[in-house]
Amino acid sequence: MRKFNVKYLAKRAVSFPSTASRIVASPRGEDGRGGPICPHVKCYEEPPVHESGWFTGALSVSFAAVLLLASIPAAQADGEKIAMFTKNQINPYFQSMRLGADAGAKEMNASVIHYVPNKPDNIAEQLAEVEDVVTKKPNAVVFIPVDSKALVVGMEKLTGAGIPVVNLLDRTKGSASTFVGVSDIDLGIDTARVLFKKLNGKGNVIFLEGVKGALSTQERLTGFKKALEEFPGIKLLASQTANAQRLMALQVMENLLQAHPQVDGVLAATDSMAMGAIEALDGANRKALVAAVNGTKEAVDAIKAGKLLATGDSSPFMQGCVAAMAAVRAARKLPLPKEIIFPIKIITAADVKAVEENVGKCPKWETMVKN
Amino acid sequence: MSGQNTALLARIGFVLALCLLLAISSSAFLTTNNLLNVLRQASLVFLIASGLTLVILTAGIDLSVGANVGLSACLCAVVLKASGSILLAVVAGLSCGAVIGLANSLFIVLLAIPPFIATYGMLWIVNGITYKLMSGTTIEGFPPGFRFIGSGYWLGIPVPIYLMLGFFAAGALFARHTRHGRELFAIGANPVAARLSGIPVRARLILVYTVCGAMAGLAGLVYLARLNSAEADIGDPMLLPAVAAVLVGGTSLFGGLGGLSGTLIGAVIVTLVLNGMNLMSVSTNWQPMITSIILLGAVLTDTLVRRHAEGAAK
Repeated sequence: MRKFNVKYLAKRAVSFPSTASRIVASPRGEDGRGGPICPHVKCYEEPPVHESGWFTGALSVSFAAVLLLASIPAAQADGEKIAMFTKNQINPYFQSMRLGADAGAKEMNASVIHYVPNKPDNIAEQLAEVEDVVTKKPNAVVFIPVDSKALVVGMEKLTGAGIPVVNLLDRTKGSASTFVGVSDIDLGIDTARVLFKKLNGKGNVIFLEGVKGALSTQERLTGFKKALEEFPGIKLLASQTANAQRLMALQVMENLLQAHPQVDGVLAATDSMAMGAIEALDGANRKALVAAVNGTKEAVDAIKAGKLLATGDSSPFMQGCVAAMAAVRAARKLPLPKEIIFPIKIITAADVKAVEENVGKCPKWETMVKN
Repeated sequence: MSGQNTALLARIGFVLALCLLLAISSSAFLTTNNLLNVLRQASLVFLIASGLTLVILTAGIDLSVGANVGLSACLCAVVLKASGSILLAVVAGLSCGAVIGLANSLFIVLLAIPPFIATYGMLWIVNGITYKLMSGTTIEGFPPGFRFIGSGYWLGIPVPIYLMLGFFAAGALFARHTRHGRELFAIGANPVAARLSGIPVRARLILVYTVCGAMAGLAGLVYLARLNSAEADIGDPMLLPAVAAVLVGGTSLFGGLGGLSGTLIGAVIVTLVLNGMNLMSVSTNWQPMITSIILLGAVLTDTLVRRHAEGAAK
């Protein structure tokens, strides 16, 4: 049947050793930590779905490959392979997304192969991975570009090869089957509103910005600024970048606390920066309300401990689930909406319990999307 | 040596000028809190840069220090969470750093791989191990006893500052006033001559890279204790400031020239620039450019003064 020829792929993987590390969803060990980074060959020996065996072994590798590529039909009912691109192996956010995608694909009897640049957010490396994937022709692709402009080429290569693409998180130009994401501007606005309301509409605040040029954190900042206009009593003391890094957030915050004797609130574009800011406040024995965006586990724990006021939940796990489901649907030629934008939820102390109960559960397609 | 002393004075002058500028433009600068703040931030840079200084004195380089900080911190966090023993975790973190340094030196000494290549390769090996170890997760929340080394105070002064001053004193004594230390200068200035005059070059290189690795490991522990959380990428942004501190401090990349007093001042300059820009709320778009200009300015002042002093000596 149309299972990828293991030998051919393994050989290819070996012949391009430098391009990428492949993470494969751990099919057996559902330990909640998801895919281990595996040696190339092993990646392609992952669960042989519908192995028919009629051309394994005897045929020469390249001949088999030609046969294989020619024999991939347009639609399939089961056992699809989805290739998923994420930005790095470091950020817990993408780890949640990968786990979500694994879960979402599993519900539809498909599986996910992950492509992650070794060097975090590296454009050239992701492009090389795209080229690899184009030759391997998976049934569909979930694509998060490391840079929404630089990877337009990557998107074109994928769709140009006739592979259905679900564009996730950062919207990229091109003919993707659908876009899955959140509105980061709205996420920024709503998170900021929660903080400003809690401050009763007056006080001094500091913004911690993300990486310059990263679309999502930039839009959150735009959201913060829009919300600021609604609250004339709130004064913005400083808006400085901490590159979405903990240590930098800690140090920038320490410095800002010296310059500003009265700080009432801090808005961080990512949870990780909020954690740094909280350490700085604790260290200086100062009190301020901190709110951030991402909805990571660490942030939920901090809310529970009373250190963080709120985190704007962009539910990476759910996004992963729905993106993988959409990719399988695209491969099966089922109807898809043009875009799937997630409803926004700001997690505060009141929601912690519900959030923790829903960890690791994929939503039903019908509840998320109305076709 | 008089040329070096003049250069050192020039750098101290540069720091004072920078402080004066900051004091004029921000009233918050000259407060005890802020100065302690600057020194505490500088201490992290200095811990890494001090070991690196010794390596650079031998005309070597260690590009893996940032990655080393990351792995040492993460390993320490894992051990601390698993065992609950602070002692065990500290030993794990420090030995992790030292082993990485030792591995570097073996590549360089036994396999004769140039330091730049060997340590750059090591950077990625170490990063890979860290990514695997953490697999995209964060470990947070450590006991107060452990956090003391990063965020504690003793007599009103943050603990990392004592670490910085302690290692500065030890390192400066070692480099200037012990035979082993002075041999490093000789190796950096001319390795062949050093070997011919009976200095065990290989043994000294192994020592220096291992110490450098262990210092990065220590920085990892301090970092972890300060931030209260470990993530796989924490070491990445540390390499550049550390190298900058060494070079701004006047230690020559060609070896044989420089020292720890320069590096201490270099670490303070690097930190002051960031602190000052935050205090003055300089737009983040300008910050990288301003940082680079000031660092280049410091190196330029140094070179000019040194050249002038050497010219006068002739």
